[in-house]
Amino acid sequence: MSAVAGDGTATARIGISIAPFAPLLACLGLLAAWQIGALLLGTDSIPTALDALRAVPDILGDRSGLANILDSIRRMAIGLASAVVVSIPLGLAMGRVPAVASFFNPILMVTYPVPKAALMPVIMLWLGVGDLSKTLVIFLAVTLPIIYHSFEGAKAVEEKMIWSGAAMGMSRLQIMARIVLPAALPEILAGCRTGLVLALITMVTSEMIARKSGAGNILFNALDMGQYDTVFAMIIIIGALGIIFDAAFDRLRRALVAWSDTRQDIPLSFS
Amino acid sequence: MRPLTMPRDSIANGPPAVPVRAAPPMIAIQGVSQTFKTAGRKDHLAISDINLDIADGAFVSILGPSGCGKSTLLYIVGGFVAPTAGIVKVKDKAITGPGPDRGPVFQEFALFPWKTVLGNVIYGLRQQGVPRAEAEERGHKLLAMVGLKGYEAFYPKELSGGMKQRVAIARTLAYNPSVLLMDEPFGALDAHTRTRLQNDLLDIWERDRKTVLFVTHAVDEAVYLSDKVIVMSRSPGRIKKVVDIDLPRPRRRAELLLDVHYQKYVVDIERLIEDAPEDAVHP
Repeated sequence: MSAVAGDGTATARIGISIAPFAPLLACLGLLAAWQIGALLLGTDSIPTALDALRAVPDILGDRSGLANILDSIRRMAIGLASAVVVSIPLGLAMGRVPAVASFFNPILMVTYPVPKAALMPVIMLWLGVGDLSKTLVIFLAVTLPIIYHSFEGAKAVEEKMIWSGAAMGMSRLQIMARIVLPAALPEILAGCRTGLVLALITMVTSEMIARKSGAGNILFNALDMGQYDTVFAMIIIIGALGIIFDAAFDRLRRALVAWSDTRQDIPLSFS
Repeated sequence: MRPLTMPRDSIANGPPAVPVRAAPPMIAIQGVSQTFKTAGRKDHLAISDINLDIADGAFVSILGPSGCGKSTLLYIVGGFVAPTAGIVKVKDKAITGPGPDRGPVFQEFALFPWKTVLGNVIYGLRQQGVPRAEAEERGHKLLAMVGLKGYEAFYPKELSGGMKQRVAIARTLAYNPSVLLMDEPFGALDAHTRTRLQNDLLDIWERDRKTVLFVTHAVDEAVYLSDKVIVMSRSPGRIKKVVDIDLPRPRRRAELLLDVHYQKYVVDIERLIEDAPEDAVHP
């Protein structure tokens, strides 16, 4: 996905007229390179881009295929949403209350480098291979970047802004909700954006480990059976989901923090 | 202090109070000291044993070299910083923290960037439960008063420094504090904007004569605006001298600059500050 983003910027710099289509051109370029590469290699394990694209409607048209993908999206949404609800208040509290930061910082430092998907087998032992385990792994993977960004955002809130609120008669809790939260929002949303991508990645990996349903389930089952068209079609579908979610989130982000000075223009978006 | 020549605005201050006994000062600073821990874990006495009474309706400036603790003193009066020793009383009641009776205006403006100009001005009123329509009406009036009519829907990032400070002043006036605490409010502005804001601040102040505590390092600014100038020395910050500025009001800048009395005040106070030892340098 980062390769697409890089191409997008490069194309955008060439001329303003093609800038809006730059991400689309990058995708087409990628597909063309794939098509040529696959034709040159001519092995069974790498189908051409066209063959893979042709398999996409088959998966989406199939009732169980679509149900699997919707299962994935549901788990991802629940995992992400619960992570947002838990992580933002925690991160903000860490940013403003030193004691909270001193308590949670070591815990986060230890858990940060652990790949959350690696916890999947342990979690499966306790909670089984169903929705709960997979949603929990997504939740765990997403919390850290959101906590971290909320923490950084809350720490950076200008002291005088908080004083201004205190002088208006706000309580500490009101200052958190009505000053620290909105002031840190651009940073929090940057964390949520990272979280969104991580949720998608963890969603697929969790389904690879605990195959029962989901997009990852289709992908790895097809791989086992040597259905390479389906494998690559699933990769396209998952990639497309990533782009769509990211673009949608970026639209939301822009609407929410239009007031902000620091406008992060992200090339990877069709909005 | 020179007796006030302007009649009090009865709307802002209510009907004139019947004088019973000598009224307590609006602000009483009693034995206030503040010690900080420096990077080297040593105690640094920032301000030492400040005693000061500020009368209701007085415009008082705290003047001193950087590092004399003048802003710290203001933050203590605001309740943002707790003093190491001593107490601050406002209307005879010891303060325990920030409150809407003391409205700050900071050099950094500290506007809420996610709110429009009007949204910033009415934030305190909404916080206090004033209905939106009523708050907005008051907000519009205040913005007209600070010369920002028509900028209601702008965001802070779209404004110049001078305009931001006008919004900050309106935002603080909105919840009608008894005391304005101004922390080098014009320090970040260019000379021209600074002059205009000084004039406008005086005009606004003449309307309801709130008590103002005004921190600055500019001697001419302090003399131009104030009834009283508190000159501080540094290391540690102490009150060196209290100078009563006996110049008629309302003051007009152009006349004042030519006034010998004004010039003498400026020169005298500059001398006072120059006498301060320069050896001790603080961040």
